[in-house]
Amino acid sequence: MHSPETKNSPPSDSMMEGIAVAFDHVSVCIDGVSILEDVSASSPHGGCTAVIGPNGAGKTTLLMALLGHIPFAGRIRIGSREENMKSRIGYVPQRLQFDRGLPMTVCDFMVMGLQRRPLWLGTKRSNRIRARELLSAVRGEALEDRMLGVLSGGEMQRVMLALALAQEPLLLILDEPASGVDVQGGQLFCELLERLRREHGFTQLMVSHDLATVTHHATHVIMLNRRIVAEGPPREVLTPANLGAVFGMHMGLADAQALSDGQSACTCARCGGEVTHA
Amino acid sequence: MLDLSPVYDLLGRIMPCACMQARFMQQALLGLLLIAPMTAAMGVQVINFRMAFFADAISHSAFAGVALGLIFSVSPHWTMPLFGLLVGLSIMALRRHSTLSTDTVIGVVFAAVMAFGLAIISREASVARDLQRFLYGDILTIGDAGILNLAALFAAVMAFQAWGYNRLLYIGLNPVVAQAHGVRVAIYQFAFAGLTALVIMLSIWAVGVLLITALLIVPAAAARGFARSAGSMFWWAMLVSITAAIAGLLISAQAWARTATGPTVVLCAFVWFMASQISAAIRKRA
Repeated sequence: MHSPETKNSPPSDSMMEGIAVAFDHVSVCIDGVSILEDVSASSPHGGCTAVIGPNGAGKTTLLMALLGHIPFAGRIRIGSREENMKSRIGYVPQRLQFDRGLPMTVCDFMVMGLQRRPLWLGTKRSNRIRARELLSAVRGEALEDRMLGVLSGGEMQRVMLALALAQEPLLLILDEPASGVDVQGGQLFCELLERLRREHGFTQLMVSHDLATVTHHATHVIMLNRRIVAEGPPREVLTPANLGAVFGMHMGLADAQALSDGQSACTCARCGGEVTHA
Repeated sequence: MLDLSPVYDLLGRIMPCACMQARFMQQALLGLLLIAPMTAAMGVQVINFRMAFFADAISHSAFAGVALGLIFSVSPHWTMPLFGLLVGLSIMALRRHSTLSTDTVIGVVFAAVMAFGLAIISREASVARDLQRFLYGDILTIGDAGILNLAALFAAVMAFQAWGYNRLLYIGLNPVVAQAHGVRVAIYQFAFAGLTALVIMLSIWAVGVLLITALLIVPAAAARGFARSAGSMFWWAMLVSITAAIAGLLISAQAWARTATGPTVVLCAFVWFMASQISAAIRKRA
């Protein structure tokens, strides 16, 4: 699974300046089926990059390659050498399928990620306090003593986000953050993410097929349909021509000229122009 | 070899009933007291990882382990655990890399090792007669060597549980998230598969091929019904497993019962399981 040309041009450390993640000629082929072809794109440091595309475009595959979970050809660089971003990744999966019969409280779940001492020898007080802090950062204080199995989709997603924050991530990766929750929930979740990103200064990289709820939070968009269709600030990427080419019809989602240029405000119709995220 | 008689004497004094004064009963009790916590602890994760079928495949590879011992004229006490370990690690490797579903992978391996074992064993009349011992187990014939092996494995299993319990929970909930958050998933999965295989193979002498999976699954399943946290789940599994082992051994020795020890232990664990279901149902209603 190696394409010869990718080895000749590894991005040097200086090329990573201002860039958190660089995909360099990434191709993924599973059982002879090509899923991603020669994808080169990057995610700017400190920004919110949204990978968009229709179902089957290879968005989640790109994340799995980034997380080192599947083999790929090409190269993926994460952060510059000094900051060691690779060991500080937080990941929030698409609607977590898990064993709901597991007797585990949300507090247990958080402490599981914080301490080595087995839970059957008790939880450290300092870790319980830390768990509470992390939960309150995602507006989940009230969930602390709930059982994991009874959480709703949106609640579970926030708890997963808190678990990812426990990593003190420099790079936060999210798969379909708006799926599995209602539109309003998805919207709130994206706003929460935006606030956390400003507070903690991490780089956010997320995958979505839901243009409306997510893209107006993005400062950078990678449009994917097995190969790169377009990449850049939302205003430049989300043109009727690009959307039509990828999604097969005009989405009528938003006036492309009014979209974020990567700097400022949210102008999505749903926000009614009242919420500014700048 | 280490002299274990003071330990046996102590057990005899702690349990002063008549049936516990025989040395073979004291040995059996000590064996069970080592096996029960191991199967309980590993069983918690066997359930989390949905690997009950995996446990079944390992235990049935015991036949192939014995067959290999016959072919190479080596004691099955060696070939069984080694072959079980090999099967466990192979299944884990296939499961991690194959695109086939896990139960298909296990099913195929299961069929192959079972067929191989039975084919060889059926040629040997002497072993075929002994087959029953494998199927039902016989804790009453455990010797000092067996107990020392169990003790060594016990130390390894408990160290692994103390070191990796939280990480194993993490992996059980979602391996991709665990990996992204710095957990070395592969190492834990292989260590778990290997240790589980060894626990199964050494416990087969006690409860037999047919029931070893029960000893892994039933206490952990009962624990889920009682426990309200991930920590107490571990202790509930311990309690169920150890009490069932002791009760099973004592009952099987009674004149009115005269049952095989392995099945009796499993039945006692099952009573616990029923109680846990009732308690869970009552709690749900409240």
